This record gives sequence, structure tokens and C-alpha cells, in this order.
Amino acid sequence: MESKLLTEHYDKESFRTLKGYQELGGYEVLKKALKMKPAEIIATVKESGLRGRGGAGFSTGTKWSFLPKNDEDRYLLCNADEGEPGTFKDRLMMERAPHQLIEGMIISAYAIGSKKSYIYIRGEYTYPIRVVEQALREAYDAGLLGKNILGSGFSHDMDVYRGAGAYICGEETGMISSLEGLKGQPKLKPPFPAVKGYLKKPTIVNNVETLAAVVPIIRDGAQAYRKFGTEKSAGTKLFSLSGDVVKPGNYEVTLGYKLSDLINNEGGGLKSGRKLKAVIPGGSSAPVLTAEEAAKATLDYECLQQMGSMLGSGAVIVIDDSHSMVDLLSTIMHFYHHESCGQCTPCREGTGWLDKMLHRILLGEAKSQDLDQVLNVAKNMMGRTICALSDAAALPAISFVSKFRDEFERHLKEGFKEGKSHAQMHH
Amino acid sequence: MLKCTINGKEIEVSSGATIMEAYHKLQEEIAYYCWHPGLSVAGVCRMCMVEIEGNPKLQIACNTPVAEGMKITNESEKVKESVKWTLDFHLINHPLDCPICDQAGECGLQEFYMTYGKYNPEMGDRKVKKHKVVDLGSQVVLDTERCILCSRCVRFTEEVTKTNELGIFNRGDHSEIGTFENRPLNNKYAVNTVDICPVGALTSKDFRFRQRAWYLKEFETTCNGCSTGCRVNVFHNQNGLFRVKPIYDEAVNGHWMCDEGRDIYKHINLDQRLRHSKAGAQQVPLEKALETAKQALKAAGSSAALLITAQYTQEENQAILDFFSNELKSSNIFYWKNNEETFEDFDGLLIRGDKNPNTQGLMNLLKEKSASGSWKDLKAKVESGQIKTVLVAGPEMLSVYPDLNEKVTVLSKTQTIWLSTCEHEFFDQLSLQLPVSGFAEKNGTYVNYAGLERKIQAGVKFVAEALTLQEIVSAFRGANVSKTNEVAL
Amino acid sequence: MFELSKEGKEFVKKELDRYEDRYSAIIPCLYWAQKENKGWISPEVIDCLAKEMDLPQSRIYEVAMFYTMFNKKPVGKYHIQVCCNISCSMAGGRELMGHICKKLGVTPEEVTKDGRFTVSQVECLGSCGTAPMMQVNDDYHENLTTETVDRFLSECK
Repeated sequence: MESKLLTEHYDKESFRTLKGYQELGGYEVLKKALKMKPAEIIATVKESGLRGRGGAGFSTGTKWSFLPKNDEDRYLLCNADEGEPGTFKDRLMMERAPHQLIEGMIISAYAIGSKKSYIYIRGEYTYPIRVVEQALREAYDAGLLGKNILGSGFSHDMDVYRGAGAYICGEETGMISSLEGLKGQPKLKPPFPAVKGYLKKPTIVNNVETLAAVVPIIRDGAQAYRKFGTEKSAGTKLFSLSGDVVKPGNYEVTLGYKLSDLINNEGGGLKSGRKLKAVIPGGSSAPVLTAEEAAKATLDYECLQQMGSMLGSGAVIVIDDSHSMVDLLSTIMHFYHHESCGQCTPCREGTGWLDKMLHRILLGEAKSQDLDQVLNVAKNMMGRTICALSDAAALPAISFVSKFRDEFERHLKEGFKEGKSHAQMHH
Repeated sequence: MLKCTINGKEIEVSSGATIMEAYHKLQEEIAYYCWHPGLSVAGVCRMCMVEIEGNPKLQIACNTPVAEGMKITNESEKVKESVKWTLDFHLINHPLDCPICDQAGECGLQEFYMTYGKYNPEMGDRKVKKHKVVDLGSQVVLDTERCILCSRCVRFTEEVTKTNELGIFNRGDHSEIGTFENRPLNNKYAVNTVDICPVGALTSKDFRFRQRAWYLKEFETTCNGCSTGCRVNVFHNQNGLFRVKPIYDEAVNGHWMCDEGRDIYKHINLDQRLRHSKAGAQQVPLEKALETAKQALKAAGSSAALLITAQYTQEENQAILDFFSNELKSSNIFYWKNNEETFEDFDGLLIRGDKNPNTQGLMNLLKEKSASGSWKDLKAKVESGQIKTVLVAGPEMLSVYPDLNEKVTVLSKTQTIWLSTCEHEFFDQLSLQLPVSGFAEKNGTYVNYAGLERKIQAGVKFVAEALTLQEIVSAFRGANVSKTNEVAL
Repeated sequence: MFELSKEGKEFVKKELDRYEDRYSAIIPCLYWAQKENKGWISPEVIDCLAKEMDLPQSRIYEVAMFYTMFNKKPVGKYHIQVCCNISCSMAGGRELMGHICKKLGVTPEEVTKDGRFTVSQVECLGSCGTAPMMQVNDDYHENLTTETVDRFLSECK
């Protein structure tokens, strides 16, 4: 069953306008927050157990508390780069509820003492960018942004920055580099953004959904939020369900919801005559689950981590028995090869190598040892790079080949059923 | 100060120092490509992994600050495995150019392959093809296939020369170093990028294909190109001098040198040298030349004149000035200053308009001798007949004395003994020319623009008959300074 | 020789002051210049922006070459970008791309002879729930079938 903490009014056209948003209770929480002390807001968010909804799942309140406790200028950056394959929830939130995001951001900015924030939206999202920009204009006109917001004495400026097509800009320091006018290449950590981020100033980078969630948390309090979800994974989450289901789409459910329920209830189950083969639970970077594993999984950070995978961005891709795992993995490896920023050697060379190997394997021009080579190369790409893209490329390679080894071996012997032309079109 | 242990050895470093700096202070071996002490930290090659006790994940040494009591090692199996694989990743798209690559013998990939690799290559797929032999102007040739994308050269043009010619374009394994539209890299410090490139991606046009690195010896000296006096390494073998590279000198040039200074080896090689004494256009034996000079100067006595350039060492200056003041009792000392208009120029980095290595030193000594004469004064006295005998301690670097011909024409009208390192057809108008040693062939001291003393050393000897000013003065005093062997070609 | 329009030069000036760092204006200015240069970034565009923004060519060129939305070659009036990532490929995105290329008689990345179309294969566009889909210039076209694609192509003048 869906929980509508965030998405309650998403089906109403007017919700994206300031008037419509306010009629449905919009910006009341901001008024409440501006009367609280910033430290109170941070404490509430910490207590609520909200974890980063972009993929890393790091405790939001804890991240905020890493900021220096002086009055040094600090920035709030909203990560709307949404590039993880399978994910399309932030797009929905920006298209249907831009003011919810803006309200959440102003509250968060107030809590951390930031005078300036940016919403970094991926370049391809032309329509969401227009919607958000329009909402910002409305907010400024209504005195909800700019100097002395609602007479509180707190001033804040917010702007949209349009990306230009690079998955790596979804990595927080990659996004910071891009915003600084450089190539979107991640930066060395330490120092972490909360200490030295955008233009070497303290910076908090949060996902769209994380910032929007601040609104119901401050409205109803931490304990009310904790009523949803599990002990370690509190609250609700939007899951982007796609692949071989009857009703793909974004669904907000409590964390801890059964994966099979999401697929069969909200998702309407598999297409007729098809059997479940595999599920990618958290975007292409998350290790794949076999059908047996998927049947036991619940959608929270802990369960999936214990199973060797991750909740990630919450992009659930359902794979039925009509697809070749070899073909799918080749598609995924092509993606990481295309998106590696090229800075550090293991990732730059490793993603290219994996793509080439999988392509050969797909065309049937490989041997069983090549499968071991894929595992070996992937293993040695992990833990040695500036950012996690290298690991994100390695994990699917390892999980697909390990869990579906029989299919890969069979493919090497029998070749691609649909013929070579299909695979060659791919590159 | 912080204490830490590296591979079991204790060392103290200042607070804020990175593990890489600690390794360097201890002179302990560690693999790296992208780190350079004169540039910002990039942390992209991932070679300098170290294991820190208490930390399950390996860290890069170049960006990790030392903490008190840290126990660090790069000799564990975990580290060696990491370095081996990172090196493997560097090599999978690297072209097997060693047989035709200048860098062989001093190549970072070769070096660490011998320490950490020595395996059979496992990549069986096609390598990425990129641009080779890209002409980047008068100094540098680029081969982007060989490039390991360490970004040292990009950081150099960004941080040191601030000219921003170089960038890394595209992403992933299609990334390529280059200049926009292959525009030339002509910022007067371009060859430094060749020095810092760990592989043969950037090569020097001047040095390309001329000599294998393992056939070269080197000696440390001071550049004589201008009054900055950068510390340099000169590379040579019996066939001549081949190239000049900078050596770190904190007070003078840091890690760098300019492109003009790269050419200072050329005039020492035999093809440009004055090899024998000449009277007019006639070759004369050294002893005869020295005797003729000695008699002429003694005859002129106090009316003999010295025209001196700031291209000689302090020791040479002292010897010749003392000879004139003490033995000849002459106060006719004249200072030949070249390019007056640009003399005070400075480009903000290293290049100075005073193209002489020892102006300060010479000025100090001239002051002691109260000698304030200039060329104008000498010219007047020669033309009026007051001075009939001139000894010229001529410039070693002829190209920075564009007024050379004018001086020779005036002095050819009187008895002139010209001391020169290099040959010049104009000198055949003069009564006598004697070969002198170049900067690479003598020991001595230069004093740079800031008053700092730097030594030069005799690393080679190509012209048997070439003498230092001290040796010439000794000959005037009766010593036997004839040479018999010349370097065989 | 590429020269920005008067409007374009004013836009550049505004963008340079809009952000905390002048370099941040590079991406917005590249977008504008691309529109004025028939949809692609030529070397002349880089030189023009370097002059207008007083920034080095190398830095602007690095940004232009890093991001996929800046076209390095001329593109047709309709730039058809078909997603071929996981969910879209499972829904037949690659076959659809093959169909479009065949129908237009063009290979990927090239421009049709009449200058109307360029077809590209792109990565995930954040529309996995409405796969297969494509982006044409600024607009998303989702839940595609060969029929809807054919109808769309015929309407592109």
C-alpha cells in the first residue's frame, strides 16, 4: 500500500503553482520553522532518522552537523542530477511539487545558516527546469525568498543551475566541480564538502527527495516520521519501478516494504506468461538480486545491505525471463564506460576494459577464462579511486557474472539467440 | 613537529606535511606519477597507495596528512598488489613505443614495471587509438597515446606559467591532453613540461631522436644564460653536450628553468668553437700566440686597455683585473654592457634582460678597482690614438651581443687581442684571437642578480687549447700552459 | 567567423556576474552560443566565448568536450536522442533506434541530406517508467511505438 507523506497532492495540477500549494497548506511549515532555532531543526532532522535519498543513505542530520560552528559562509546544494539508470523520482517531484522542494530547501538553509543555495538540475530535464524556475519566480515575488523572508530576519537566495549531460555530476563533489565552471570531476576527499566544498566553502549537498522530506518532518515532528519505516530506515521513500512490470512508475511506500509487494501490488505484477528472473533493487550500481533473493527482500537499507546489495536511489528494475543477463550487463558496462570522468586510472581504464570484454562475450567471441577475467578486473577496480563510480561499475559486473554464471557459460557456447546484428547495433 | 614511522623507520615532519612529503624527506622509495613538489596535488594516478595501521582501506600518500604516531608502510602485500594492478591499468592502452620513444631509460612506466610488475600483459582487446606526433610549436612534440593523464603538464601551465595552454579534453578513456586546436605551446617555459612528463608523451623537439638516455652522463652547474643563474644539469657524452635540465634550487629557480637556457649547451660543442689561436685569418700555435700577446701588453704597459664582459667567473675577473692593475699598472678598464634598453627587464618568473651570468660579481670587483669606464670611453680613446693595445675578454654567448660586429670593426683598427669561446668570421679582422673555455669546462663562481654566489664546474673539455683567464694570466707570468690533446670525435 | 548576437553578448555579461565565480558562466554561455551556431560548438565558438568572457580557450574547450549535451559536430534541425539504457533497452529502445535510422536512411551521429535529422544513442534520461522513449531537441517523447514514432517523424518539417 502506498504511503502519501510526500506525494499526497501530486495528482493535483494546481499543486505546482504557489497559489495551489498554499491552498493545500504550503509554506505553513516554513512559517513554523522560522520561529524555531536552527539547532532545533537540525536536531529534529537527526532524530527523525532521515537518510540521504539520493543513493548513499547517509544520516542527513549528521551530515548537517559536520558544518563548522562559526558564521563562515556556507552553501546548500540540491542534487537534482538524477542520472542513476532506473531512477526517475526526482523528476516527478520537480514537475509536480516544485514548491515542496523549495520549502524544504529554505527550511534546511535556515537550519544550517546558509545564505545561498543552488538546485543543480541535469541538462536533459528541460521541462522540470522550466517548472522549478517558474516556482522560484513565484516564491521571490511572494517574499518567500530574498531578503528578510516573511519578516523573520533570515535572508536567502536560491538559483537553478543547469547541467550539461554527465552522470558523474551526480556525485556530490563532481557536482560541485561542475557548478564551479570546471569539468564535473569529483574532488579528493578529505576535505569533505561540509568542511571545504563549493569554492572551498562549507557545503551541504542533499538529494531532492531528502530536502523535500524535511517539510513533513518539521510539520509533524521526528517521532511522527519514525512511525513510518523501520528502526534504522525511518520514513517513506519514492521508488522508481520500471522494467517488466505492468504498471511502471514512481510509488511512495514506507521503508521496510516488501519488494515483492511493490512489484505485484503497486507494479501490477509481471506481464502475462512471464516469470521473474532478477531484480536490480537500487539503480544500476546496486548488485543484482536473483528471483529467490528478491522474494525475501524488504526495501530498507539494512536488509539489502545484508544481502550484498543496496537500496541506492530506490530504482527497482524488474527483469523477467525474456531477457539475457549477458545483454543487460553489456548495456550496463557500456554506460559506465561512457560516463567515467577519466580522472583516475583504475576507473578510466577499467570501465573501458570491462565494456570491451562484455562486448566480446556478448558476440560470443570469448572463453570461460574471460568471465574470470571480468571478475578479476572488476575486483581490482574497487576501493582505489577518487569516487565510487569505479565501484559502481565493478559491482554489477561481479554480481551478474557470479549469480548468473551458468547463463553466461551457456551464452558463450550457444551464442546470442537473436543474432549478432542486435548486439552490434548496441555499439 | 610530528613523529611517524615509515616502513619501520622513524621520521619527524612539520605539521601539515603529507605522507608523500615524509617519504621524500626520508628518501624512501614510493611509486607515483602525478605528484610533483612544485605543483598542486592531483591524486589521480593512484600509484602512491600506502597502508596505515588501523585503517582497513589503503590511502594515497600524496593527499593524506601525517598524524602523530602514524605507522605507514608501502611494503605490504596489499599495497604491492594495488600498485601492480594500478600499473596494469596504466599499461592496457599504452602503445608499445619503447623502441622509438625518447623516454626509454628514464620512463616512469618502465621504472615501476621493473619494481612492481614484470608480468605478462592480460588485455587482449584493441587499444584506444589517439593522436601521435602532434606538433605543439617550436619546443614540444605531443603523443597523446603515450600520455598517462597524470595532468602534471596541465597543472604546470595553469599554476606556474599561468598561460593555460594545456587541457585534458573528453572524458573516460578517450581523454586526451592537448592544446585547443593544437595551438603552439610557446610560453618560454614549455620544455619544463617535457621534464615533468613521466612518459614520452611530451618530448623536446631539440632532443628528439638524438641520443639514448643511458648513453648520457650528467654534471651539475649554473646556467650562464642570464643573471638569474638557474641551477642546471648538463647531459653529455664523448660526442658532445646534448641537453640541459633544471635542478631544484629553492633560492633561485625553484624547480624550473626557461626555454632560452635550454640552448646554452649548443655553443660548447665543437662545431661552434674557436679551436685554435689565430692572427688575422692565419692559425698560429698557442705558445706563439700567448708570447705575442704577452709582449704586446707589456710593451703598452699602462696604456694597455681591457674591455671586459660579465661572462666570466669571479676568479677569472680577479686574475685579469689584478694583472692589469698590478703588473701593467694600467687603469684602462672598460666594461662592455650589452643591450642597454632591455637590461632591467624581468618577466616575473625567471627570465631577465641581463643576459650575463656574473654582472653583479664583475660590478663588485670593478668598484674595488675604481674602474668606471664604458665602451664609449674606450672607443673615444682608440679613435684618438690614446690607446693602441686592447685585450678583449669577449662574450662566450655571441648571440646576446648583437653589437659585436660594431665593436670588432672599431677595434680592428688597432692592436687587439680577442679572447673568445666561439668562432666568428668577423674576428679574422683582428690582430690576434685566442680560444677560451666555456662555462661547462671550468670551475668558478658566478654572482647572480640578487648577489647569490653559485658555482660552475668543469664537466667536459672539448677544445684542448682553450684556456681560462687565470691560465692566460699564468702564461703571461711565464708558466707553461700548452695543451696537447683534444677530445676525439 | 562566429560572432555572438548583441543579445548573446548581453547574456554573457549577465551570466558572468550571476554566479560566485565567473567560470560558472561557461556552461550557460555554451548553451546560448550553441543555439546561435546552428546547434553545435565549433572552434570559432570557443574563440568567441574566450574573447567575450576573458577566459582561456583551454578551460572553455575542456567543458565543451566533457559534457554530452554540447554537440561537437553539426546536428540536424531535429536531434533525435534515443535512450538505450537498461529499462529502455528491455522495452525495445535499440530496435526502435534501428527502425528510426532505417526510416530516415541515416547512420547514428550523421545528419540527413536534407539537414532535418540527426539520430543519437544516449544513456538514461530519467524516463524509465515510460520506456521506450526519446528526447527530440528539448522535448521528451515517451511510451513510444513504431506507429507513434512514424507519425512524429512525418510531422517534422
